[in-house]
Amino acid sequence: MRRSRYTWPALIAATTLTLAACGGDDGETSGGGGGGGDAAASDYPTETITLIVPYAAGGPTDLAGRTIGSCIEEELGQTVVVENREGASGSVGMQAMIAGGNDGYTLSLIAVPASATNPLQDDVGYTNEDYVPIAAVTEIPSALIVGQGSQFSTAEEFFTYAEENPGELNVGVPGTTTSQAMELRRLAEEYGVEVTPVPFTGNAEMTTAILGGNVDAIFINSSQDVLANIESGDFVPLAVSPAEPVDYIDAPTLAESGFEELTSSVSVFGLAAPAGVPDDVVSTLEETVDTCLQKDEVREQLGEQYVPDEFIDSEAFSTRIDEIVEAYGPILQE
Amino acid sequence: MGILDGLGQGFSVALDPTNLLYVFLGVLIGTVIGVLPGLGPTATIALLLPLTYEIEPVTAVIMLAGIYYGSMYGGTITSVLLQLPGEAASVVTTFDGYQMAKQGRAGPALGIAAIGSWIGGTVSIVGLVLLAPPLADLAVEFGDPEYVALTALGILLVTYLGTRHPVKSLAMAALGLLLATVGQDLITGTNRFTFGSISLFDGFDFVAVAMGLFGVGEILYNVEKTEKAQALKSKISNIWPSRKDFKDSSGAIARGSVLGFFLGVLPGGGGVISSLASYGMEKRRAKDPTRFGKGAIEGVAGPETANNASSTSAFIPLLTLGIPPNVVLALIFGALLLNGVQPGPQLIDQQPEIFWGVIASMAVGNLMLLALNIPLVGFFVQLLRVRAGILAAFALLVTMAGVFSVNNDVFDMWVVLAFGIIGWLMKKTGFEPGPLVLAFVLGSILEESFRRSMLISGGEVSIFFTRPMSGTLFALMAVVVIWSTVQGIRRRRKRSRPSTPGEEDLAATGTTAEPEGTPGYENTDDTEGATTGAPRDGSGATGGTGSTASRAQDGGPGPDRG
Repeated sequence: MRRSRYTWPALIAATTLTLAACGGDDGETSGGGGGGGDAAASDYPTETITLIVPYAAGGPTDLAGRTIGSCIEEELGQTVVVENREGASGSVGMQAMIAGGNDGYTLSLIAVPASATNPLQDDVGYTNEDYVPIAAVTEIPSALIVGQGSQFSTAEEFFTYAEENPGELNVGVPGTTTSQAMELRRLAEEYGVEVTPVPFTGNAEMTTAILGGNVDAIFINSSQDVLANIESGDFVPLAVSPAEPVDYIDAPTLAESGFEELTSSVSVFGLAAPAGVPDDVVSTLEETVDTCLQKDEVREQLGEQYVPDEFIDSEAFSTRIDEIVEAYGPILQE
Repeated sequence: MGILDGLGQGFSVALDPTNLLYVFLGVLIGTVIGVLPGLGPTATIALLLPLTYEIEPVTAVIMLAGIYYGSMYGGTITSVLLQLPGEAASVVTTFDGYQMAKQGRAGPALGIAAIGSWIGGTVSIVGLVLLAPPLADLAVEFGDPEYVALTALGILLVTYLGTRHPVKSLAMAALGLLLATVGQDLITGTNRFTFGSISLFDGFDFVAVAMGLFGVGEILYNVEKTEKAQALKSKISNIWPSRKDFKDSSGAIARGSVLGFFLGVLPGGGGVISSLASYGMEKRRAKDPTRFGKGAIEGVAGPETANNASSTSAFIPLLTLGIPPNVVLALIFGALLLNGVQPGPQLIDQQPEIFWGVIASMAVGNLMLLALNIPLVGFFVQLLRVRAGILAAFALLVTMAGVFSVNNDVFDMWVVLAFGIIGWLMKKTGFEPGPLVLAFVLGSILEESFRRSMLISGGEVSIFFTRPMSGTLFALMAVVVIWSTVQGIRRRRKRSRPSTPGEEDLAATGTTAEPEGTPGYENTDDTEGATTGAPRDGSGATGGTGSTASRAQDGGPGPDRG
């Protein structure tokens, strides 16, 4: 953390230099409609943009990355190459992005909270000061879910039982350093409601575990497959994680259930660039993503319900990351 | 979804022109590599794994499955004609098949093998259709303790069954388990053995390890050898077996189908074990066992049927439980994961097109093989003229490009090379990469499930024995260990006495096979040995003989259990 302060002057210097460079070769404005608002300072982009997706092809992050990538390509008139660089829960891809340089032609999809919590926990080759969040693309809440025949039908019953029988309820989570697992730890530490988090890898395993009755509940990213299981009645949602209720899942928030602080377990997939990227690049991309997220076909591809109701721009996204760092930092550094 | 609906959907997937093309490609490649002694299904699938990344998951599995059962057909050809098993599961076919060829009956031998294979494959497909869906329903109930039991049983059987040296296999399995621990600990999030390299946070990449051990290891090993294929000795005429041949082999085919089906499902089972078991069974049942080894058609029909049946039924544990029963299936498991498909109890419900599509493609593929094999035998044999060096260089190039394409990570290429050298050294020293790779795959499932079981039970080990399913499986394991120990002791005693003819089914197979089998082994480079543990010997003629006998012993439990 402290070390990052020394990098600031360097970053500013780099920014200024890059800006100067951009200003210098300002011959004609680009054909794309994106950068129009921000004076004639830049004709970004003039070449192919690489968009790194730090997770496997075919997953939800890949879908978000490819959808937004092709929309940016359409809007800005430059090819966007999507490259999957999976590994180390996204750290490999982050490193690749940072290595790609901060001229705005290497971007990455980030999956918050993982992107923000990885560097808190291990030396993963980057810190939270090494990248600039640009805009959020989708927001996926977590849901606390029990199986069809569960003895619990409301959050209240569940938490009352958990409080009276500490550690007895087993709750599946998608990994031990995920926001879901950390929220459960905070539940125990801050509210004295203790359940046993049981880490699984991925939604498929957790789904099998709850359907087979091998865990009492799961706390899971409510992606499309989970919504389908809720729809079919196999899953019964008890609570959702965001601060505000979710209109497509019929359950109260954790905050409403008496845990005001537990609002951070929301996966946000968004766009990021290496630190030091020119400001006008950030604003061009911000605007482009905003435009994209209003298009029907993009919304549909991403899953209408997951597109944030209110656009989350660079600043709001940064604030979100800071909050996560604040909430989970102490737990992770234990 | 009912079976008929499922099959309907399956055939609509399998008959899609693209998929049809890939089934054809798969069975063709399978036959070709089955013919070529240097490459077996394991190495080939390992090499082709990254390429499947570019195609639909269902298409990928259809092709890889085609390679697997296609190689079972292809291996027969050279076994019969040249006494040179193209892949390990066809080793027993050399015993009687080559004798038939010498008697001018190569045609019927190949014909009956192809027909038997087709019947075995078809019976297995029917079994798969009928058994897999209910098994998957049952598997949803499986919790972590059951997975611990299943994976432990798998590792145990792989090291026990069908290996020449249980101790060496055990050592390799242990190494595999150790390698599986590299990377981030799922439960605590701690990094283990990563030495600060984020490339190791997720552990070794399975594809890279498998490609190294099987692919590159195999290539290096083959390059060292300078053998050339012998010229064709016999002409093939009149491939259609006579009525008498059919009558003689019908029982063998029926028994081989059933036996192969059950041995394929078993962890550690697969082509080699089932072909050996079938040979032993036929020999024991025969009125005149002395005919075996002298051109008995049952000795070709039974094993060839059984190995093909087992290569189909091996998909059951993979598609219903997400547990690969042998190394080839472990690679197919890797291909599915690579394509974002998690095989497991929910696969049939959530991705029926994969489950039913693959099954239907097997029916189609087996028909294609029947059609391909009979008229094209001569052509396939010509393939033996391809120089090993050219093949090796090409394969190595494909491997390196392929592994890079998976993660776009140069690190993986180093992993492939390192494991390639390890694989080569292992082959030279008689250690089998099969138990290592399977333990590596099963190890992470085992560890995660074990630790989750402990979390769920609050640290009570009794959870493994009080749940009916896992309790039964652990009991089964105890039986396997005790039984094979007792058998071992009995054999040792017996060996000190003069052996009585035809005493133990499989042991007998070994002894009869010696005269013809030995040179075959020398030429064989059994690529699939891994799965299966067919003889791999670097130690000369005595090694060949010894391996036959000991392999027979290790394979012993097979038929009785099946």
